[in-house]
Amino acid sequence: MNIVEAYVGEYASGKSENAVNRALELVEQGRRVTLVDLDLVEPFYTLRPLKKTLESKGVRVIAWETKETFGLGEAGYVLKPEMRWALRREGDIIFDVGYGIQGIKIFNLIEGLWENEDLKIYVVVNISRPMTSSVEDIITYLSSFKKVDGLINNSHLGEQTDLDIIQEGACIVGEVSRLTQIPVIASTMEKTFAALVGSESFMGFPVRYIERYMPQTFW
Amino acid sequence: MEKPIVEEKRVFMTGNEVVAWGAIAAQADIMYGYPITPQNEIMHYWTRLAPKYQKKFLQTEDELSAGFATIGGVIAGKKAFSATAGPGNTLFQEPVSMAEMMRIPMVVVIQQRGGPSTATVIYSQQEVNMTTYGGNGEGMRIVYSTASHQELFDCMIKAFNNAWKYRFPTFVLGDGYQAKMREPLVMYDPQDRGIELIEPEIIIGKEGVPGRDRDPVFLRNAYSMEEELYDVLMPTIEEYDRIAPEITEYHSFSCEDADLIIVAHGIVSRAAVAAVEDLRKEGVKVGVFRPVTLRPFPEEALREVAGITPNFLVVESSNGQMARLFKEALFGMEVKMDTIFKPGVGITSEEIVQQVKNIADSGIKTTIK
Repeated sequence: MNIVEAYVGEYASGKSENAVNRALELVEQGRRVTLVDLDLVEPFYTLRPLKKTLESKGVRVIAWETKETFGLGEAGYVLKPEMRWALRREGDIIFDVGYGIQGIKIFNLIEGLWENEDLKIYVVVNISRPMTSSVEDIITYLSSFKKVDGLINNSHLGEQTDLDIIQEGACIVGEVSRLTQIPVIASTMEKTFAALVGSESFMGFPVRYIERYMPQTFW
Repeated sequence: MEKPIVEEKRVFMTGNEVVAWGAIAAQADIMYGYPITPQNEIMHYWTRLAPKYQKKFLQTEDELSAGFATIGGVIAGKKAFSATAGPGNTLFQEPVSMAEMMRIPMVVVIQQRGGPSTATVIYSQQEVNMTTYGGNGEGMRIVYSTASHQELFDCMIKAFNNAWKYRFPTFVLGDGYQAKMREPLVMYDPQDRGIELIEPEIIIGKEGVPGRDRDPVFLRNAYSMEEELYDVLMPTIEEYDRIAPEITEYHSFSCEDADLIIVAHGIVSRAAVAAVEDLRKEGVKVGVFRPVTLRPFPEEALREVAGITPNFLVVESSNGQMARLFKEALFGMEVKMDTIFKPGVGITSEEIVQQVKNIADSGIKTTIK
């Protein structure tokens, strides 16, 4: 079965980081993976600068390259035909749906999206984001999506991230899951926390250890 | 209504979102705006927050209109603000000049982009001239140049308070990098920290009959006679000079024993501080002087550090716009100035370290008298 996953969420929730790390994880398992950069509105923190690095690691990346673009960031950018038809590709497809809640409008342009039975939409939650900092706020936020198949607790404070914030995030996201019946797919954290956590589960949720690629992608 | 910020909390946001939250914290009522990158998400985020906190937003047809509409909102007694960049800033100079002439408080956030004209959406420090002195005539305004998300938040609160306290239009000058980058900050309700928020007041449409119950309000941006104008301008200029020390802010870092002082503002000052930290480890005595308010410019403080060393390295992402303010502040003193000017391009700490080493090797180039 093909894995088709879309990572959505607020700015700086960690959508792209999760999408990148997931794509790499699947490639390491020997799977054929296409990563689609749907962050087309603003040119900052998108997969564009990482394209070559990820391709060298075996991920097929559908993203613009800076040299192909003109007036990037001025008024959004056009959808590549390959993006629109990404679901016709063989293998696993990972979508990085950027630009906060507005980005979902671009996601709707993917051919065959809502008919695709494999599609899972995962909302990446960082409780350090004011609009998704409490159980009530997150539940309100989730209602802006047509469907949500899973939650990912990616609570962090950038370089100031500590175990407390990840833990607090796991509690809040866990409570959201209990109330909405939407499963928690994972709690994510940087590999440096592995020594502290020491297992593949954290507060009852599976852990995905991630490596941070996105700080390299500012522009 | 729910209190927007209940307790002090560390959060992780983009700079544009911080601006919107800073305006909420400062109890702004309405934003008027017209889209331009890299400030768009200030508007987006404000409109997301607006329904929850009973705020208002109006998208106008262009920046001229956004500026004048902001003045209209203020005259009606609202704490109104706007945000723009680049060519939008150019258009804003006309309404801001009117606010200067009429002494209307207003807050405008500038996220600098590359110029001239449309140029790039990314980043620059090329809007210093225009933001500090861009109006026609000689209007008085306040300009904060921020260097972190914490400061963006803090300066939004200060900007509203100073604008309404002193009735000078006030700018918060960020840039495309600050707009888009993400970093943690602590959000707080200023009143919980004992910061009094200045209440706005209705300027036109006050109660009572003008001339009988109260003085009439006569806002003017047109004067017939030159003496008439002079009589209005001079007290304004004197008032600004008098209050300037209450507003002026700067940071100085490791200047006490410095042989060379790096002068930088905004985001570039962070590269300068990082460079100084590296150079100090190697025993090189360097410091950083950073104006936080570009207007009023911290002249006295700068002249004081010029007493420690006459050697300066001025670093900015423009072709010398802050350097002009720097040279004016030091007029009459004999100092030496080397520069890194990179119009529209970011500057790293490594470049600054390298330049400091080059200066040490070759001797400082320019002498200002």
